[in-house]
Amino acid sequence: MTGFDAFSSVAALSAGLQSRAFSAPELTQAYLDRIAALNDRLNAYITVCADEAMRQAEAAQRRIDAGQADALTGIPLGIKDNICTSGVRTTCASRMLETFVPPYDATVIARLKAQDAVLLGKLNMDEFAMGGSSQTSYFGGVKNPYDTSRVPGGSSGGSAAAVAAGLCAASLGSDTGGSIRQPAAFCGVTGLKPTYGAVSRYGLVAFASSLDQIGPIARTARDCALLLSAVAGRDENDGTSRALPDVDYLARVGMSLRDVTIGLPQEFFEDYVSEEVRAAVQAAAEHFRSLGATLKTVSLPSLRYAVASYYLISSAEAASNLSRYDGIKYGYRAQTGETYEELIKNTRREGFGSEVKRRIVLGNYALSSGYYDAYYNRAVQIRGRIREEYAALLRECDCILTPTAPTVSYPIGQQENDPVRMYSADICSVTANIAGLPALSTPCGYNAQGLPIGMCLTGRAFDEATLIALADAFESDFSRREAQL
Amino acid sequence: MKYETVIGLEIHAEMLTHSKVFCGCTAEFGGEENTRVCPRCSGLPGTLPVLNQGAVRLAVKAGLALGCEIHPYSAFDRKNYFYPDLPKAYQITQFAHPICTDGAVDIGEKTVRINRIHIEEDAGKLVHDDYENVSLADYNRCGVPLIEIVTEPDLRSAEEARALVEEIALRLKYAGVCDARMEQGSLRCDVNISIRQPGETKFGTRTEIKNLNSLKSIVRAIEYEYTRQADLLDAGRPVIQQTLHFNENHGTTKPLRSKEEAHDYRYFPEPDIPPILLSDADLAAIRDDMPEMPADRLRRYTADYGLPEADARQLVADKALSDFYDAVIAVYPAYKPVASLILVELLRRLNDAGSTVGELRFAPADLAALVRLSETGEISKNAAKEILRTLFEAGGHPDEIAEANGYLMNNDTAAVEAAAAEILAANPKAVAEYRGGSQKVFGFLMGQMCKKLGKSANPQIIRQCLAEALERPEA
Repeated sequence: MTGFDAFSSVAALSAGLQSRAFSAPELTQAYLDRIAALNDRLNAYITVCADEAMRQAEAAQRRIDAGQADALTGIPLGIKDNICTSGVRTTCASRMLETFVPPYDATVIARLKAQDAVLLGKLNMDEFAMGGSSQTSYFGGVKNPYDTSRVPGGSSGGSAAAVAAGLCAASLGSDTGGSIRQPAAFCGVTGLKPTYGAVSRYGLVAFASSLDQIGPIARTARDCALLLSAVAGRDENDGTSRALPDVDYLARVGMSLRDVTIGLPQEFFEDYVSEEVRAAVQAAAEHFRSLGATLKTVSLPSLRYAVASYYLISSAEAASNLSRYDGIKYGYRAQTGETYEELIKNTRREGFGSEVKRRIVLGNYALSSGYYDAYYNRAVQIRGRIREEYAALLRECDCILTPTAPTVSYPIGQQENDPVRMYSADICSVTANIAGLPALSTPCGYNAQGLPIGMCLTGRAFDEATLIALADAFESDFSRREAQL
Repeated sequence: MKYETVIGLEIHAEMLTHSKVFCGCTAEFGGEENTRVCPRCSGLPGTLPVLNQGAVRLAVKAGLALGCEIHPYSAFDRKNYFYPDLPKAYQITQFAHPICTDGAVDIGEKTVRINRIHIEEDAGKLVHDDYENVSLADYNRCGVPLIEIVTEPDLRSAEEARALVEEIALRLKYAGVCDARMEQGSLRCDVNISIRQPGETKFGTRTEIKNLNSLKSIVRAIEYEYTRQADLLDAGRPVIQQTLHFNENHGTTKPLRSKEEAHDYRYFPEPDIPPILLSDADLAAIRDDMPEMPADRLRRYTADYGLPEADARQLVADKALSDFYDAVIAVYPAYKPVASLILVELLRRLNDAGSTVGELRFAPADLAALVRLSETGEISKNAAKEILRTLFEAGGHPDEIAEANGYLMNNDTAAVEAAAAEILAANPKAVAEYRGGSQKVFGFLMGQMCKKLGKSANPQIIRQCLAEALERPEA
């Protein structure tokens, strides 16, 4: 197939389809071939839907031929495996849902299908999206395309690795405390966590309902905007989704940075952040300054409580959300257990991995009577404070620039079994979820070993357009290095 | 009674919305097992609850009906516990911020305070098959909207508890919130009960009797539990705080859970449903839409219609009967005759047949037509009763029944006058006696007249013509 490059942007592929450089079935087959060749090395996909994808590609081609293509018509995408797909199993990378086939499509899936996008398959992740390494999957860990001995980040590690390796043109992930942005940073791609309420959560298997958001991972900020435009907007199926006037997420691309003030909160540049990451993000800040932006050192004092607050709230909600997995209605059921209590105990003991169990125990503890005020309520108070501090910062700044994660990707096995270390590493990403703000991670450099470094732009609620414009401006001057597989 | 009984109630009422509280499934009672379910109410992964605004309006109406304060801000919480009839393993309810609080309901001279009314979802049903030794879950009821009404411990006897449940059920029916069919479980009651020495101000240790589904059970359970607690205290033993089940067959209570550790429900704010915000305009609209309540209807019947208080009360206490009465008088506003026909004749027939107003074979307009015939003198009172019997047994139209059976009275005075002249002429002796001052013979002459004129003659007209003929000086 000519004119096909697995590292093309969505926009370029769409142009290729329109100009008949290649057909939608050809394009889909090319990605399926790459998956067949490379997925074993990365373990990015849990389920590949070759037949369905080809059928969708043919439908897309008819639409293109009819001159009625949308931005994503015929574009091969990957979907994180915690987003429900009708008739295609949705496992959450858990033994508990190994055989679960949803009878309905998540709203985001219905919206992608409405554009005749092609869904290549379901992407690997940390079990129930709990983790930052994509190593807690029941289906085995995901590997980083830039160095397969290293983690791709998590929990949307499959979504990020697949985009970085050209195993899909773009993907959907979900982000509860950094799960889109941190793997995007580790895998050298762009990931956007939208404002809470911008994208319907209907069909996203819940981890922490007040923090979860579905968002795109893609090769460029513009591609993120294309995916976001397709899936965002009010959905009657999700009471927390917001009605917004028609948003053009590309509206600000190309804007002058003269009037843009970028805040650099000092707490995000302390010693816990590795030297190489700090240097790269500071260099990126200087680049924005060279483009005309004003830099401002600011402060987010409550950052020191953010991780604790995040883990208490998210685990409390997770404990409740995951209680439904009892082996009675669907999913895994233990073979032993004389009573109802024994059956659900055994089912949950065998069906959940250890990280999921850790969160359930933590969450139930935080909510239990006698500890509720000391833990859950305190965490909610801190959430309020972090929101206020962000609101104040975003009155004086148009956006906040921070590292996406304190380090680059680390070797598989190095720290996944050290929960405190793992949780602490979320410090740079959790506050956007706590405050419900949009945040975008995009590559800003590579370390000495060639591993990608990500920076994170956090903006005002529902002002994704500014983040996309800034990332786009940075990208056009950035020389990206593709993963060598 | 040796001890004073202190009782508070928690009443669960299923609201009359078309669909369930968080999904589009029908909320109607019944249906084959697991046919009224969807991904949402069966708690499939990824689904989200979306609040039915109709349920909110009905909950506000319940609050208005029970004299509550309605809160412009209320919110949902999750009550977490494992049970196979609860597919999400949490119940969505209002814990910290209920929609209504601080109400009051009068029963006779007594005012019972309502602590709160909150919205929540019903759970499913388990069917235990002892033969196959399995339990089956039916999720049809999952997500049916409920209100829970919590009273203060202001009740002091089983009879008061019964009266309060009756009064609340009646108001909920009038408000259109709940059909209050205890036998179908659409109204259920938990009873909190403790006893103490008269004059004591502190409460005793209470027990909670769960899920009573008839007025009779409420009374029996309270009476049994009083005796049980009194026996314990008399024997110098403590009452243990526990949750009890009332066994209808034995009339006794026994602990519901073997291990009596308190449940820790780990309530926290439901993140999937934004808080309910009610503006003054929202509230005003619901208030305007409030149907007539029992007290208003009673006033209308007594003050406007002049019905005797006892009759008015009897009508109002049965909403279906009262609605039927209103529908009849809307067609033919003969307030008292309609009331008396309904309360005496119709009610007697309903009771004898063991049926309800809803099952009648005729419409309110038919009863209105019947009363009209009777009131205009076109049929006799006895004929009216006969026609009602026919309507009750076979339906039909009163005018046609009257016609077909010859109940229509002959109001042709010329014919009656002619008959009177004939009868007088034929009975000169009786006429002379009458004119001589004997009233007794009037009856005899009336009898002669009726015999001559047949059953369709109007007795009033006969009486009148006969009297006139007798008074007339001899021709």
